[in-house]
Amino acid sequence: MSEDTDHPDLKSRNRPLREDMAYQLKVWRFERVGWYVLVLILVMALGGVFSRGLLSSRNVRSDDGKVGVEYEMFHRNGSTNSMKITLTERPNSPVELELAGQLLEGFSIETLQPEPLRSRSSAQGMKLWMQTDADGQATLYITLRGDAVGLFRSQITSSGTRSVRLVQFIFP
Amino acid sequence: MDSVLRAGAMYLALMVLFKIAGRRSLAELTTFDFVLLMMIGEATQQALLGDDFSITNGILVIVTLIAIDVGLSLLKQRSGWVSRLIDGEPTIIVENGKLLHRRLRHARLIEADVMEAARSSQGIERLEEIKFAIIERNGKISIIAKEN
Repeated sequence: MSEDTDHPDLKSRNRPLREDMAYQLKVWRFERVGWYVLVLILVMALGGVFSRGLLSSRNVRSDDGKVGVEYEMFHRNGSTNSMKITLTERPNSPVELELAGQLLEGFSIETLQPEPLRSRSSAQGMKLWMQTDADGQATLYITLRGDAVGLFRSQITSSGTRSVRLVQFIFP
Repeated sequence: MDSVLRAGAMYLALMVLFKIAGRRSLAELTTFDFVLLMMIGEATQQALLGDDFSITNGILVIVTLIAIDVGLSLLKQRSGWVSRLIDGEPTIIVENGKLLHRRLRHARLIEADVMEAARSSQGIERLEEIKFAIIERNGKISIIAKEN
């Protein structure tokens, strides 16, 4: 704020009370800067920095294009978001999918649709087996609930393909 | 543990937000301000309690909030610096019947706000009859009339 603090209006008075205008001007400056910060937060929230928005929604594919993941990069503790995993493999055959890394440490899986053929734990996470359709496509819908706070790196791998790496952040 | 942290974080966040809003924001509570306050309360409640609706959690949150409040008032009593930081200081906005326009602008006030306070507290009709108008620490405008 361009303000001439020498203006007679902004000089400290001693009657009827002792003022400290230098301090009061700082308070007003704080209010003004705070207002800009609030607007910035609003714009960031609209953009999706705090989950669900343009900056948060990601769609990644593995190098060979066989694994695709749609997910939210930013989550909030206690709230749920969906993740969609698409796999391309041989038609009408079971396909292995591994959720590894810190995914299961930061999130709990609320729903898993459709039900996998079978599942088991693995060294780093869990393995699921899905059935592809006549076109060789399989899709898995997961609802994730953020349980922890912080940065979580995970990878999603399908049998014999390159993995997709995800970085997700959970806000408190 | 997280109940205390939640309550502490919310206390701090609300305090900073209301500092940014300025002391005038909720000083004269209009009907809409009251509704706004209730909405803020609703939004705060969820963050304070999370998904734990037990009596223990509720009491822990309340204990934390009151403890912080009492602690701060004790600190304010001992240190003038803390008191000034949290409560602010009164500011004169009318001096001998003249508005201090620069100050009004900073405080986001207009003449009508001053005259409203003058009418309701002192029955004053004109600006010239005001000796001093002061925004108090709680955001209310107090008026000292000129002696005739």
